[in-house]
Amino acid sequence: MKLFRRIRFWLRARQNAADLAEEIEFHRSMGGGPANTTMGNTTLAREDARAVWIWPWLESVMQDFRYALRNLRSHPGFALVAIAALGTTIGLTISLFSVFNAVALRPWPVDDPSHVFNILALNDRRQPSGFSLAEFRYLAANSKTFTGMIAQRDNQNVDLADSKAACSWVSASYFRVLGVGMRAGRGFLPEEDDPEAPQAVVVVSDAFWSARLGSDPRAVGRTIRVEETPFTVVGIAASDFTGTTPGPVDLYVPMAAASILQPSAAWMKAFLTSPDHCCSRVAGRMARGLSKQQGEAELGVLHNQFQNQMHQESRGVRLEGTAFIATGKKDKIVPIFAMMFLGVTLVLLLACANVGNLLLARAAARRREISVRLSLGASRTRLIRQLLTESLVLAILASGLGLASAYWLPPLVFRYAVSDVLSFRLTPDTTVYFFALGVSFVVCLMFGLAPALAGTRTGNTRHRLRGVLLAAQVALSVMLLAGASLLVRGIQKARMQDPGFQISGVSIASFELPASSYDAARTRSFFEQLTRELQGNSDNRIGLARLAPLGRATNWNSFRMPGETDKQRKMVVAHDANAGYFDVLGIPILAGRNFAASDADRKVILVNETFAQRFFNGDALGKSVVMNGPTEIVGIVKDAYTRGLDEIDATIYSPITGNAIPLALFRSAPESADRLKAVLQQLEPRARMSVTPLSDNLDQWLRASQAGASIAAALGMFALVLATIGMFGVFAFWVEQRRTEIGVRMALGARPSQVIRLVVGASSRSVAVGLIIGFAGAIGASRLLVRFLYGLSPLDPTAYAGVAIVLGAAGLAATYLPARRATKIDPMTALRCD
Amino acid sequence: MGTNKSPDLLPGTLDLLVLKTLARGRMHGYGISQHLKSISDEVLEVGESSLYPALQRLLLNGYAEAEWGVSENNRRARYYTLTPDGRKQLTAERKEFDRMILAIQKALA
Repeated sequence: MKLFRRIRFWLRARQNAADLAEEIEFHRSMGGGPANTTMGNTTLAREDARAVWIWPWLESVMQDFRYALRNLRSHPGFALVAIAALGTTIGLTISLFSVFNAVALRPWPVDDPSHVFNILALNDRRQPSGFSLAEFRYLAANSKTFTGMIAQRDNQNVDLADSKAACSWVSASYFRVLGVGMRAGRGFLPEEDDPEAPQAVVVVSDAFWSARLGSDPRAVGRTIRVEETPFTVVGIAASDFTGTTPGPVDLYVPMAAASILQPSAAWMKAFLTSPDHCCSRVAGRMARGLSKQQGEAELGVLHNQFQNQMHQESRGVRLEGTAFIATGKKDKIVPIFAMMFLGVTLVLLLACANVGNLLLARAAARRREISVRLSLGASRTRLIRQLLTESLVLAILASGLGLASAYWLPPLVFRYAVSDVLSFRLTPDTTVYFFALGVSFVVCLMFGLAPALAGTRTGNTRHRLRGVLLAAQVALSVMLLAGASLLVRGIQKARMQDPGFQISGVSIASFELPASSYDAARTRSFFEQLTRELQGNSDNRIGLARLAPLGRATNWNSFRMPGETDKQRKMVVAHDANAGYFDVLGIPILAGRNFAASDADRKVILVNETFAQRFFNGDALGKSVVMNGPTEIVGIVKDAYTRGLDEIDATIYSPITGNAIPLALFRSAPESADRLKAVLQQLEPRARMSVTPLSDNLDQWLRASQAGASIAAALGMFALVLATIGMFGVFAFWVEQRRTEIGVRMALGARPSQVIRLVVGASSRSVAVGLIIGFAGAIGASRLLVRFLYGLSPLDPTAYAGVAIVLGAAGLAATYLPARRATKIDPMTALRCD
Repeated sequence: MGTNKSPDLLPGTLDLLVLKTLARGRMHGYGISQHLKSISDEVLEVGESSLYPALQRLLLNGYAEAEWGVSENNRRARYYTLTPDGRKQLTAERKEFDRMILAIQKALA
């Protein structure tokens, strides 16, 4: 109650100070003239009255802290070990949280982000997707729950006069609705996003303005050449605005201006005006005081109205926050974070058990001090508070260290694990600070409470707690090591696995054609001509494909059986490829035939074994399915892990179209790239080409999981070190405490081997219990790892045997020195000691 | 702590006197000091630098509550009221005080 009143007083400190001042002033004025000598210094009176509220309490807290600091300073070895162990693990925890914060919690860097939502339409697979621009305009014009809406396309690379830049197409409402100011300039005007009258205007990011425009104070009004067209700079975005897409954006142009950038793109008119042309990302700012449900309900109705006009079915609208994770990546990201949090929490627990053990040893050493204080009348709660304050000081110092590491560790890991430049804001913010503070309190209780309780108890129960802590350390390190070794073995398996196609010795060429003069038909004929020229005089074939094997993108398409309705359509992986694709990658055709030149205008596909097995029980050749129209299966190819190494999907291969510029795959020989380049330049001097080895894709594919395995291995090693130090501490302390006993035994003729058995035997039960719990826990938890193991069994015996060996070695190392010291005890000295 | 104009008061006595005064009813700080002065024939002159810390102690311990009201001469003044806890404390302190006085008298006799 008293504490509560005190807190209430400080919550209203200003009011209370004013009250005091006023009533003393009142007192003084009532007291009358200057002759009145009872009136002292009013300020002093006020200070004294206020001091009533803080003094004794704060003083005792300060006293505890001072005492704790002095105590730690007089035991620098202990303090250093404890702070290092805790600081490292707390640093890991905070770093992980700050990444999680950046990915899952931080909303867009816009004005009042709590009212801004991503607006998603649910498609026929009930997965969230975007809207056509026509529908976006309809929703924006008719919604009452939203005060404004924006549409945005993902970044595209565009050519500037001398370099490239990331360009995002946005609705003219973008900056206004998001409440992002202009550092200079006026931003977009509503009429600049009119598909009928596109304007060549651009807003540049602050980073672009300072890096590429040299912070030119007169940049607004200047023109910059984008895709060979002059665009007028109408604004420089505010410097703290880092965009609403994961990647950094240099230039923003109105949606309508896309038709200036890509004048010959056949789909441009449809994109800007057709109600069917999916999809642009849409977000909006909700009116104040409305709930998410109200917004969803209203937009659901509007979406339904619009789709009904188009004779389409609608399946509802969903609103989601603007944190990165909300953009449909939840399913992928959440399990990874869950796993990493699990691992880090285990290490944190381990460190706590470790430091708890150290504290316990210290409490034993301070037994005399504590019993003196108890007998002098200190209450047990007071002593526990004192000991907990010491733990809190340790925890806060360690958290400070951890917080510091959270500034450099996540960016470092990110750079290593993720090759894309992502503009996540990883710098810790207030949320992270609060998390760090919370962690230090929780951690302080975890490692400090049990030793404080045990240390101030007068009975003798300490051996049991030490045994429990030792068992916990062993169990936790077994679990961590098992997880780490499974992940490492999994990645090994993935590396060794036969992907079912040729990777080494194959190169990928990607092309750039001037977009303004290549439509679908011309693109297609250009590549037909290119392959003809190249293959003319040799059998060195060229594979063409829309997407590279093991690339980052996957194309999905749907089909149905003849006689089925559209609702029964099934989604499968769809590749566009030519005949050379299978030759170059060495994917054998098991039945039927490869694509032929005569297929160009016929609807034919090849399918893989999995497809044939799943949908036709293997007997797929010559059968028909309905894609855009009836399509014949003319061949079955062998399964290959072309999408990813984790599993094989049912796959359809369709002949190359001209809708997108394909990639070329070819067997790398010293002269083949040069020849390709020569032929390309001869056909189209404006074309550009870049070549990368296919193995780069494999590396990239393995990179994230490799980073995961490295992190797990590092955590495991760290856990092992902590556990070894912990075990060492326990054994050493045990020997120290039993000096006399061991001395007596040796005086009575015990041999060194018997002494060693005594030392090892003392803790063997705790270690055994820890091992059993640890292995059981590891086996139980290994199920969580299945999706990261590339088909390795979560019960892989090699992994577990490895853990047993490593841990056994660590245990030996931890017992060796203490046991040796025990055998070196001189009976006479030991007996004289006490 | 500050200037105590009643140097002869035993420690804790001021709190007891204030409690006793408040037992008569709602009163503001100046009223308390005036009451103590008049009832003791001007012997107890409690200065603001001891009175207000004492009142804050009563608030902190929950023995009294404060609220703003209007004084006799129509000015804003802060009035203190005894709580049930305060009443209990008054009885307890009163007993302790009597015991103490008795002991001192015995010692001086």
